[in-house]
This record gives sequence, structure tokens and C-alpha cells, in this order.
Amino acid sequence: MKFQIEDVTVYFPYDNIYPEQYSYMVELKRALDAKGHALLEMPTGTGKTIALLSLITSYALSKPSNPIKLLYCTRTVHEMEKTLAELRLLHQYQLRHLGPAARILALGLSSRKNLCINPAVVSAENRDSVDAGCRKLTASWVRALAVENPNIPTCQFFENYEKAASEAVLPPGVYTLQDLRAFGRDKGWCPYFLARHMVQFANVVVYSYQYLLDPKVAGIISKEMQRESVVVFDEAHNIDNVCIEALSVSVRRQTLEGATRNLSKMAQEINRFKATDAGRLRAEYNRLVEGLAQRGNLPISDTWLANPALPDDILKEAVPGNIRRAEHFLSVLRRLVQYLHGRLETENVEKEGPVAFVASINSQAGIDQKMLKFCYDRLHSLMLTLEITDTDEFLHIQTICDFATLVGTYTRGFSIIIEPFDERMPHIPDPVLQLSCHDASLAIKPVFERFQSVVITSGTLSPIDLYPRLLNFNPVVSRSFTMSLTRNCICPMVLTRGSDQLPVSTKFDMRSDPGVVRNYGRLLLEMVSVVPDGIVCFFVSYSYMDGIVNTWNESGILKEIMQHKLVFIETQDVVETTLALDNYRRACDCGRGAVFFSVARGKVAEGIDFDRHYGRLVIMFGVPFQYTLSRILLARLEYLRETFQIKEGDFLTFDALRQAAQCVGRVIRSKADYGMMIFADKRYSRHDKRSKLPGWILSHLRDAHLNLSTDMALHIAREFLRKMAQPYDKAGVSGRKTLLSEEDLEKMGDGTTNEMLF
Amino acid sequence: MSGEVLKRARYKTSVKDSGVAGVLKMTEDKFVFMPNDPTSSARFDVEFRFIKGHKFSKGGSNKPALLNLTQDSEKGGGYIFEFENYPDREVCREFVGKALAKFSEASKAGSEQSAVKLFDEQLSTIEMERRIKLLREDSELQKLHKQFVLSGVLTEAEFWATRKKLLDGNTSRTSKQRVGFKSAMISDLKPLTDGRTNRVTFNLTPEIIHQIFAEKPAVHQAFLNFVPNKMTEKDFWNKYCRAEYLHCTRNTVAAAAEAAEDEELAVFLKHDDILANEARRKIRRVDPTLDMEADQGDDYMHLPDHGIFRDGSKEIIDPQYEQYRRTLSQDLNRHAAVVLEGRPIDVELEDTRTVAEALAKSKRVEAANEKSDGSVTRERLERISRMTEIEDLQAPRDLPFAALCIKDPRDYFDSQQANALKTLGDTLAGSKQIKCSLSTQEAYGSLRGFISEIKSVGLSDPIVKPDIALKVLNGLTQNISSTKFHLGKNPQESVLDRLPIITKEELLHHWTSIQELLRHFWSSYPITTTYLYTKASRLKDAMSQIYPKLQEIKESVQSDFRHQVSLLVQPMLQALDAAFAHYDADQQKRSARSGERPNGFV
Repeated sequence: MKFQIEDVTVYFPYDNIYPEQYSYMVELKRALDAKGHALLEMPTGTGKTIALLSLITSYALSKPSNPIKLLYCTRTVHEMEKTLAELRLLHQYQLRHLGPAARILALGLSSRKNLCINPAVVSAENRDSVDAGCRKLTASWVRALAVENPNIPTCQFFENYEKAASEAVLPPGVYTLQDLRAFGRDKGWCPYFLARHMVQFANVVVYSYQYLLDPKVAGIISKEMQRESVVVFDEAHNIDNVCIEALSVSVRRQTLEGATRNLSKMAQEINRFKATDAGRLRAEYNRLVEGLAQRGNLPISDTWLANPALPDDILKEAVPGNIRRAEHFLSVLRRLVQYLHGRLETENVEKEGPVAFVASINSQAGIDQKMLKFCYDRLHSLMLTLEITDTDEFLHIQTICDFATLVGTYTRGFSIIIEPFDERMPHIPDPVLQLSCHDASLAIKPVFERFQSVVITSGTLSPIDLYPRLLNFNPVVSRSFTMSLTRNCICPMVLTRGSDQLPVSTKFDMRSDPGVVRNYGRLLLEMVSVVPDGIVCFFVSYSYMDGIVNTWNESGILKEIMQHKLVFIETQDVVETTLALDNYRRACDCGRGAVFFSVARGKVAEGIDFDRHYGRLVIMFGVPFQYTLSRILLARLEYLRETFQIKEGDFLTFDALRQAAQCVGRVIRSKADYGMMIFADKRYSRHDKRSKLPGWILSHLRDAHLNLSTDMALHIAREFLRKMAQPYDKAGVSGRKTLLSEEDLEKMGDGTTNEMLF
Repeated sequence: MSGEVLKRARYKTSVKDSGVAGVLKMTEDKFVFMPNDPTSSARFDVEFRFIKGHKFSKGGSNKPALLNLTQDSEKGGGYIFEFENYPDREVCREFVGKALAKFSEASKAGSEQSAVKLFDEQLSTIEMERRIKLLREDSELQKLHKQFVLSGVLTEAEFWATRKKLLDGNTSRTSKQRVGFKSAMISDLKPLTDGRTNRVTFNLTPEIIHQIFAEKPAVHQAFLNFVPNKMTEKDFWNKYCRAEYLHCTRNTVAAAAEAAEDEELAVFLKHDDILANEARRKIRRVDPTLDMEADQGDDYMHLPDHGIFRDGSKEIIDPQYEQYRRTLSQDLNRHAAVVLEGRPIDVELEDTRTVAEALAKSKRVEAANEKSDGSVTRERLERISRMTEIEDLQAPRDLPFAALCIKDPRDYFDSQQANALKTLGDTLAGSKQIKCSLSTQEAYGSLRGFISEIKSVGLSDPIVKPDIALKVLNGLTQNISSTKFHLGKNPQESVLDRLPIITKEELLHHWTSIQELLRHFWSSYPITTTYLYTKASRLKDAMSQIYPKLQEIKESVQSDFRHQVSLLVQPMLQALDAAFAHYDADQQKRSARSGERPNGFV
């Protein structure tokens, strides 16, 4: 369908539209018009992604003179694939209606590991080996040598791509990672470098959060994006955590040992160069005197993950004199490693601010703040000069330099915590020095400053006023949409008591109580016998899940559950989890039915949908609080209280409830879908906890469902499933339309667009 | 069956009788009793085919060990023997049981086999066996078969031609449904301790072994490698159980220590490399919207020491023992995957070696298949694009459909004719013959007739004549009310149940035989060959024989049932009448046209 929102003709690939999608678009358009940032919460299962894509591409089409670029950030690669699939659908529709004028270039961008097609390189184990393997074949000096000596292997895909030079372009279209690989194979061009190159010309780029948030990556990948771009962070409820992680580094004994090895390897190399090619080191020195600014002119295959969020003026500054010479720099690093070694030897937990820490380094190791700040760049300059290609071997020293640069750059919002052992296992010495970032706004600040519109959207952003504070920005539009339902297709319940009427909870003093474990088991057992197809269970942590599943196994409950459905579990091994998920879906597809055990903060909860028959019921066992004794968390809470006046308890509850809401929200995909959600913990019945749930769940949480026991929940589940199996009128009952057609929208367009139906 | 049995026993005419002591000798087809006292008259020699069954007394110390061989009911009585002890009795009883079973089977099969062979057809033995089996299972069918085929109304082939489905369905039933793996985990293979000693017992059945092979390729591989060259099967499983035991004690350090000493044991304790390879292969084929592995490359958090390290969600394990750690979750996932895949092989679970080899073979086949399929990726992409659509925002898609394809047109038309016949039986209209090829003159004549009729009677507004309508209505109400009166109370009870049993059975039998005949009758039209012609006339003769029988039934029943019976018989008669009428009309047409078209007609 095609309709007007003010001056923009929106092309929407479906015949009908949900009213909330329409108002979402209206709000989004206002934010784009105002060239400001937006914060939008819309329940899952209302087609958020397609509404976003459809409005922004239509907006760009309506302003052909100055088309905006869309940078769409997803949490994970599989979400990237989903988004691109939706975009393809939309693009096909727009092409049908507008013809060639609607042509756009949209592509997904990922690391070499997901894009490389050179079989020799891509077969490597992990990302770093793939990166290093690629660099060994494509680095400029390797290729220079290969010209003289044909025995040196190069990558034929990269050579072809280089040969094609300006010819090497992607024709307009929508490219998923797989399409890129296929295209590359077809043409014989390297898809990774092709995609990297095409990013500047693309209308839509879909990539991971890190490509914008992590300064190391953003520096090279996102530096050429124009200001007139719309940046969308989808599923952004965890964005503060991502920001924090992007700027946190930890140093362990293994890191230091590895770094020492790296340093001696580099010293050898330097000596070798001194003997054979002293001119090269001198050239580097001269380059450093002029400053770092020329770094951008390196060949594309040589570029490094750039420095952490350095203000622009620093780039023009010259590298401090005392680390310009390679051997001087190495000795500085040695002293730094030595110093960190000393700090790790502590017996007690220590906590320091960055300023005190830098001062202590200065006094004990003689390294000042400015030297620290340039460590990362200086290292990479040196590694380039030394023509080091096996970068995966040098990760440890990179970590150290990363740490040094962060410590040297930021004076607030960080703390350094040294723990001699994990407090849950005090007998195993495992010292760790952690530089942890507390302020999410630090990482995201450059993004807000650089791009005219940043849209942060998710199904769970409640309470919506907290995010602007955490991220320190001012949205022009900040709204939370509820869901207009044709029928009550979601059924949230709070289960407080087990089948024996005793309370259930994962509270620390109750969670290992055999009665609670048994009650949880009985709950699941009863449910598997009633609910068809897929059931998803979320536990509060891996260790809790392991424990409870083991207990169920020993007491025979698991065996009984398996009589009804197959059981799959998320593990810390991603490959295994992926295969388990794939099998889970197959089990649901073939009608066998299955249960998936997952963890509330795990990878599955983050991005996998359990829509339709893949999930008819989600059980959230317990409240997924963070591990509250973690010192990093405590430090962050303290920082939040001091800086933003956010109370510890409030933040913890907010964080736990957004995770819970995120978990249960995975069952609904559209209004034709239906699913039940059970919050199995007595604490959910308390108002202070419950009220933090997003509005679209709260509005369906009936008072009668607030304090249930297993048998009552079972009864409700039976009733609900029976009701949902009946046919219904999709357009909604008269008066409250939940599905709008083109005519409906036209009619509304005559009057005021504000007059929405909910 | 071993040749014969010879036991001391007492022959009794009744249980209370003291009996005659003697020797009972049993051979395959008969039993002989010889009394010790040669003058006694209780000497006999009976063939097993006269024996219908056998009974025996329950075992107990003070009760006599009796065996009663019962004879046909009309001949009356049986042979009761008392044995000296129970073991003797048991031996005889078993022998008798076997003999009887064999005999009854042989006799039954024999009679039917001969029946089938009467008609010299080239049938495979399998086909024959199937037919015999069907006949044996379905007494109704057997009766029909006897009635028509043996009497020559239908040929064997004709009889079976309409029952193709029955035969086919049977084949699928004979290839028995494959049983999948059990949902229960093999970790249910719990060690049993006897409590007193430190001995631990494991129970392995072929079923469990098969499952172990399927779930743990490393064990499977090891079995193929080690047994029987390097160790015996028993040793192998001993070792396996030892590893399992170590695993369930969850002592990774101990496991590592043991594994270091014994390299074969290490195979069981370490991670399964084959599984890991398989996983790597499978992960490439996984739905990209699920592929979390792809994130690993994209997620910069995994760089060593980046991100928040000790946030309480990660578990710490000494990497040295990592490979000896096996979690329940891994087992669960693996188990569920195997169950979902189903049992790949279909062999008897007797010999472990054959199971292992068959499994290895099926794996190779699977791997070979995997390489060849390119369409899978396309299918997967289509699936993704279908899944991204929001279903209720657009008009429902056309569901995929398969074009109608009638495999066996004959079968289809047969069933259609049967349907037509049924409606024919229900309404009277069927009995009227409709003549389709009319000459203009004929048409004109009949039209004139109608006109003149209308002229004389006048145009009656109601199409149905009132008096006839009234009559029908009265008849119906009477009929309904009387039946209602008798039957209304019990929905299960039908008119048939109220009739005498013999009448009921006769009626039912006639009904099925008429149906059978009619089915064949109508299926032979249009008559195109002389074969069909003779068949039709043969069928007509058979039907005309049934006709008077129906009348007989009607007359034989008592007056109060007569109405009911006639109601029941009525549709049968009508159906037969329709068939006769059709036959006659066809006959006439045939004789009329035979002159005009000497070539016969189509």
C-alpha cells in the first residue's frame, strides 16, 4: 500500500497496516524533519523493523536532491540477515511501484570471517585467525614481494578486485552476507573489501553496533559516513551495556605473559631491521614527527582498527618524542607490563580512579599520561613498519596498549578494579585488573554528535525517561506505543506459588530449596503436557540453569518432561547452541514439540525469535537480577547514583525487568500470533517490580492473574489455548480497528492524523 | 517340533473318574493311548485334527495334573489324562499346543490355498499369501469369497480387482512402522550399586547400545576399530562403563588422571572429535537467522580481555581439564538431535557388530547425499523470505496444492458407481429408464401425449398429486412413529437388533452379497467385450437367484417384524430391479442394433 504522511509518500509492502505502525512512522518522520534524535518503544510483534525501513527509505525517495543515508545497527549477524530480508521485500515492492527510480544499494557488512570466500583463509578457527590469514595474503608489502617472487602466495580474489579497480562496484540491490559472497564468487572479487568500499556509496548499510560504537572499529569503517545519515539502533534496550563493554578492558596474568612474549618478538624484529633495512625505521620516525593524521591514506588492506575515541585535535598532534623511536617505545611498554605485573600481585581488592592510576604509573614507571594515550597508535604504526602479518599472535600486547590509551584518555566515568580472586572461588588465585567503564554516554557520544538523527528503538525501553539520562542525549521525540490487539493474543501471568501452594522464587536464600526446584519442575511438567509445539524457558543464569536441570534429571522430572517434548539447552558454546536451536525449530516444525532452556542474559534471549509455533509459552523462572556482588556492578551503581541520581535498587530492578520483558517478548511476531508468558517468581507480584514491565505487557496482565499457583495457571493456559484456536476477524471489532487499509488511511488523512485509535 | 512324546498317564472319562493307567504317546498328527491292562477297552488312536482345544488344571501340590483334550462339540466329550507329575504334564501340554496350532493353520491355509489355486492364474506366492491372510482375517470377506468365487459367479481376479486397495494397504501395514529412539536419555543408564560391596553394575541392552552408537560417534568409531581385534566386546563395554562411571562422579581431575594412563579409556572421556567436526559441517547449513556462530566473528567482545570479564555470568574452568568435562546439557542436546533425526537403520538389534557396521554405512550414505544437494540452500532462502513476511498484514497466500491425480481410474469409477447406486437405492427415480437417443418423431409423440393429457386433466397447479402426497405422508409418519416408538429410547439400538438373529444375519449377508454383485455388475457397463457380456449375464443370474430369497425372508418372519423387514429389503429389491431393468434395456438395445451395426458397438 501507498499513503501520505504529510509531504512524504510512504511505500509499505503490505496491503494493510497496524495503527501503531502508522503512528510510529508519523513520530519518526517528525524526528527526521527536526533533524534530531528519537527514542521509540514499540512492542515486539508489531512490525517495528518494516515500519522503520519503509518510512526512512520512502523519506529518502521523496527528497531526491539530498537523500539521507540509513545506517541500521543490529545486535547480531542473524538480526542483520532478518533486517535485510525485510528490506528486500520492501525494495521489491518499491521497484514495482516506482520503477528504476526506487533503486537503492543496501548491504550488510560483517567481519572477514563472515565474508571471506578464500577457502584457505576462511577455514581458520576464529575471527582473529581469519583476519591474520587475510592480512598474510593481502598486506601491501606481501603483495609487493609477490610481484618479484611468484612463490609467495596472494589472495586471487583480492588481486582480481584490485585489478578491476574502479570497475569493481556492486550494482544496486539488497545484499545479505550470503548474496555478497555469492556475488564475489561470481565475479572473482573479494566480497569483504568490495563491501567495505561500497559502504560509502550505499543508501542503506546494515551492520553491527560495534561498527559505530566501538571506537576501534568505527574509526575506519564509519568515518566516511556523511552527517546526513539516520542511525538506527534496533533492539537497543541493552545499548548502555554495549557502550560500556566497548570501553572496558581487563588484564590477567596470561595477558601480561603473552604481552612479554610479544615484546621480545618485536625486539628481535627491530634488531633484524636495524641490520638489514635501517631506513625503514627512520622513515617511520619522520612520519611520526608529522603526526598521525596521514594514517587514513594507508592502503585499504593495511588499515588497522583505529584508536579509541580520540578527539580530532589529537590526531593532528605529533606523537610524543620519547616514544617515537621504536626501541624507546618498546622499553616503555616493558615498564608498563612490569608495573601491571606488580599491581596484580596484590592480596586485597583494590579500586582506583583513572587519574590516581595514571599518577601512580607516572611515579613508579615513569610513563606520563600523554605517552599512555598514544600507545595504541604507536603500536600499530610499529607493527606496520615491522610488517607483522600474523596479528592474531599479537593480541595481548594490543590489549595492553588499548588499556593504556583508555586510561590515558579518560579521566572520569571509569574505575580500575583489581581482584586477586573470584569471590565465589576464593581458593583459586586468579588475579585480574579490570578497567571498567561506567558511563554509557562516553562511547555513544561521538555518534550523537556526528549524525543528525539517531533513532533508538526496541520493544522494551521502559521506563523511557531513563535512557536519555543514561546515554546523555536529548531526543526530540520520545514515545512509547502500546499494542492494539484484535483479540487478547498475549496472556501474561504471574505465578507465585507452586502446586503445593508454597511460594516460588529465585531469591538467593530460596533458589536452592528443593521445594522450589521441585515446584518449578512440576510447573514445566504440567505445561508441556498442555501446551502444543514449542515452549521456551528462561533461567536467571547459566549456573542456576545447570543446577536446576541436573536436579530435575536426578529426580526424574526431566525424564517425564521428555515424554512429552524434546529438550534442548543453550550452552556457552555458540556452535552447539546454534545447532540446538536449529534442531528445536525442526522439532517444532515436524509437530514433535520441544522445550528450549535458555538464559535470560544469554545470546538466545538477545536475538532469537520464538514466534508462532516456535514458542507458544515462555516461562521466566525467577527475576534475572545481575550478580549483585560483582564489584564492577557495585562501582557502576555508585557512579550512577553520584552522577545521575539513580538509586541502586531502581537501576537493578529496571535492568532485571527489562531483561525479563525482553525474554518474554520473543513469542509474538504479529497480531495473528499468540503466546503465553509466565513470570514464575513471587517477587513479580509486588508492585515496585511489576510496574517496571513495559506497558504492552502490563495492559494485558489482569488482576486475576497476579497471584497464581500452578494448578490455576494450568487452567488459564487451557482456556487461553482453546480460545486462541478459534477463527477470528482480523480487521478487529467495529469501532476499534486494529488493521488499517489504504482507504482507512486516506479517510484519516482528511482529518487530523493525530486522531489515532488508541 | 520334536518327533514324539511318551508319558505315563491315566485316562479318565470324567474328572472324578479314577481312570485307567497306561502310556500316552503323542506324534505330530495324532496321539495314542495304550492302557497297561491290555484287556481294557480304553485304547484309542485319535488324530489331532479332531481335537479342537485343550485345557489343563492349575499347578498345585495336592491337585492332580490334568490335561483335557476337547473334541468337537457335536461329537461331545474329550480325553482327560492325569499325569504323575506336573513336569510330565507340561511337556505334553506344550506338545499338544504346538500340534494343534500347526494343524489348524495348515488346515485353514490348505483349504484356501486350494481354493485359490482352482483358478489357474499366475500369482506370486506373496500375492497369494496376502490374499489368504486377508480372507482369514475377515470372515465376512471369506464368506463372500466362498459364495461367489467358489461357485463360479466371479473369477478370482474379478473378486480381487475391486479390492486392490485392501491388498495395497496391507503391504504397507506389513512393512512395520519403524520405531524411533526412545525419548528417555541413555544417561538413564544408571549405575546400580548393591550397597554392600564397591561393585557397580551397568545394564546394557542392544537397544541402548544402538542408541549409544548413534549419540556418540566416538564410541561407535572406537568399537569399529577395537572390537574384536584389540579387545573383546565385553572388555570394550567394561571400559565404556568405567568411563561413564567416572563421568557421573563428575570428577574431572580423576578422569584426566585415568585417561592419561589408559589411552583407550581416554577415547571415551575426551570430547568427541567426530561430533565437533559434524557440528562444524552442520553449522554451515543452519538457518542464517539463527546463526549465532556468525556473531562470533562480528562481536568484538570476544577479543581476549575485552569487555567486562568477571560479571558473574561466566564460569571458570581450568583449561587443562576442559576436555574431560562433559555436561548434561551437551548430552541433552545431542540426545534430542538424535531422536529427532530418527533411527537411520533398520536392522535387528541382536548383534552389536552388525549394528555398528550398518550405522557406519548409513552415515557414509548421508554424507554423500549432503554434498549433492544444492536445492537446500535455495529452499532455505525461500523459507526465510516467507518467514519475514507479516502474515496478517496481507491477503492470505494461496496454499500450496497438489493437482488431482487419479492413480487407478478403474477404482475411481467403481466407487462412483457404487455411490450412484446408493442414491439409486434411496430414491425411486432410478427405476425409471431414461432413454437418451430419441428420434424427432418419438419426442414429438411424447410431447403430444403430454399435451393431450394436460388438456383432458387440466393444468394441475401442484405438481405432486395431493392424494399421492397424502398417501406418502401417511406412510412416512406411520413408519417413523412406529420406529420411533420402538427405537427412540436407545440410540444405539437399531431396527436390526430387534429382529431374530438368524434373520438379521441373513439380511446382512444378503446385503453385502448384493452389494458385491451390483458393484461388479455396474462396473461391467458399458459392455465393450464379450467377456464383459458374459460376466454381466452371469451376475444377473446370480442376482436373480438372490431375489426370491429376499422374498422368502420377508415372508418367513413373524408378522410384527414383517413391516420392518420389508422396509429393509425394499432398497435391496429396488437396487436389484434397477440392475435388471438396465440389463434388459441394454439387451434390447443390443438386439435391436445388432442388425444395423454388424461390427458390434462401443
